[in-house]
Amino acid sequence: MSALTRAMGALLRRLAVLLPAHRREWAEALAAEAAEVPPGAQRLAWLAGGLRLAAGQARLGRRVGWSLAFGAAAMGTAWSGWGGAPADPAVLVNRVDVIVIVVILAGLPLAVRRLFGPVRDSAPARIGRAVGYAAIFALVLVKAVVQRFAYVPPNTGAVTGVAWTGEILFLAAMAAYASGILAVTARRPPAAPATLSVGTAAGAAIGLVIYVLGPLGYPLRFAGAWPAGLYDAALALAVVAGLAVTVATGRTAVRRAARQAGPLAAADPARQGAMAGLCAGATAALLISVLSTGTIALLPHEAGLLQWAMAHLGATSIFGRGTQHAYEVNNSVYAAGYFLVLVLFPVLGSGIAAWGGFGAAGPPGRPRQGPGRGCPLAPGPAQLDADHRAA
Amino acid sequence: VAHCPRFSAQTLSVLAALCADPSLWRHGYSIARDTGLKSGTLYPILIRLADRDLMEASWEDEQPAGRPRRHLYRLTPGGLATARAALAQNPAPAPVRPPAGRPARRRIAVRGAL
Repeated sequence: MSALTRAMGALLRRLAVLLPAHRREWAEALAAEAAEVPPGAQRLAWLAGGLRLAAGQARLGRRVGWSLAFGAAAMGTAWSGWGGAPADPAVLVNRVDVIVIVVILAGLPLAVRRLFGPVRDSAPARIGRAVGYAAIFALVLVKAVVQRFAYVPPNTGAVTGVAWTGEILFLAAMAAYASGILAVTARRPPAAPATLSVGTAAGAAIGLVIYVLGPLGYPLRFAGAWPAGLYDAALALAVVAGLAVTVATGRTAVRRAARQAGPLAAADPARQGAMAGLCAGATAALLISVLSTGTIALLPHEAGLLQWAMAHLGATSIFGRGTQHAYEVNNSVYAAGYFLVLVLFPVLGSGIAAWGGFGAAGPPGRPRQGPGRGCPLAPGPAQLDADHRAA
Repeated sequence: VAHCPRFSAQTLSVLAALCADPSLWRHGYSIARDTGLKSGTLYPILIRLADRDLMEASWEDEQPAGRPRRHLYRLTPGGLATARAALAQNPAPAPVRPPAGRPARRRIAVRGAL
């Protein structure tokens, strides 16, 4: 019994080291109190409670769960992307993608943590980080599937060898996206959390609408006059709505940031707007890329079947009388175009929403009324953090 | 009027123990004995009370012979008002026994920044 007590005490002291500094002394206090507790079952129960406390404060369950989920996603991506003949260029590309992405996603949190801190202690931040990572894994996975068609020698025609420049740019873009996901969900994000949540929500809505209107990345062509007219009208409306939503995102982000983070955020509306737009553009681009490339990857690789389905849906053929491979290769090569979406959407979103945010700021030199009902500006978490650090 | 948040029955029993003699610094095991709470339940409550600035904590100033230094706790003035208001509304916490002794203390650190 005494050996077990000593072992549990030692384990508690080891676990205490894992805790943040402001929590460590509580575990140390509990360990110190163990000497007061009558030996035997009571002291064991006391120390067991201490272990439970330390595990809870160290978020051990969450850490283990996150590690297991990350490992499972990495193994699933590797399992799906690894197969094929070594001589196939697509297999080489896919294997490089899997290895580099796993290294990037595992290593970046350590680097980003130094700049922006660990993950924010809120459910939306943790869920956002997990969903963002899952989206990157999913994109690598569906890219691996479509690349198998893009690199099939009899169908590629002009494609010879591996386009390594494109691969490097893709991996660099994924590293940038992963860094962004980690930064916006960190404890010291580059913008007010309200700004980032507004941008993410707007980006998800824009991305879904674009995907629904063109699930393969290009406009559909309908056979009938009225469906074609309706579809064209919906496309035009979507473009206007997308621009309007992006501008509104900038304006809303500035107002909500002023309410949440105080006058510091309100004083820099263009930056808050730009960050919201960046978030919206990146979210929309990632969503569109994953869903559209996934659709291309999951479509039946049988030209005749798809031809039959499209005819019964009232749409014209989206491909000619070519072979099954021609259709697959066309779509697979088209999927590479999503790299442009991944780069351009955040840039465009940032610029448009910055303009919207700047417009929401009003004339310079006139302080804005933050909460909107005459209440004084309440310090938000970012301000409290700043005050705490200054103190 | 003191702000009176909603407390669980376990938290109320801890507040009652600390309210019994508000000037007295209590250590964890003595609170556990009074409330009947296990350490895994008691300490998260103490941490939350300190985080909300309702309770302050400090280590004993001197190293006592034969045992480690204790971490000591007592209610802040705001915490005392809140605890009394909460206990007035919910006067049925676990029975509290009078503490056995008054340990020596020196405030080294005050927890409670929200």
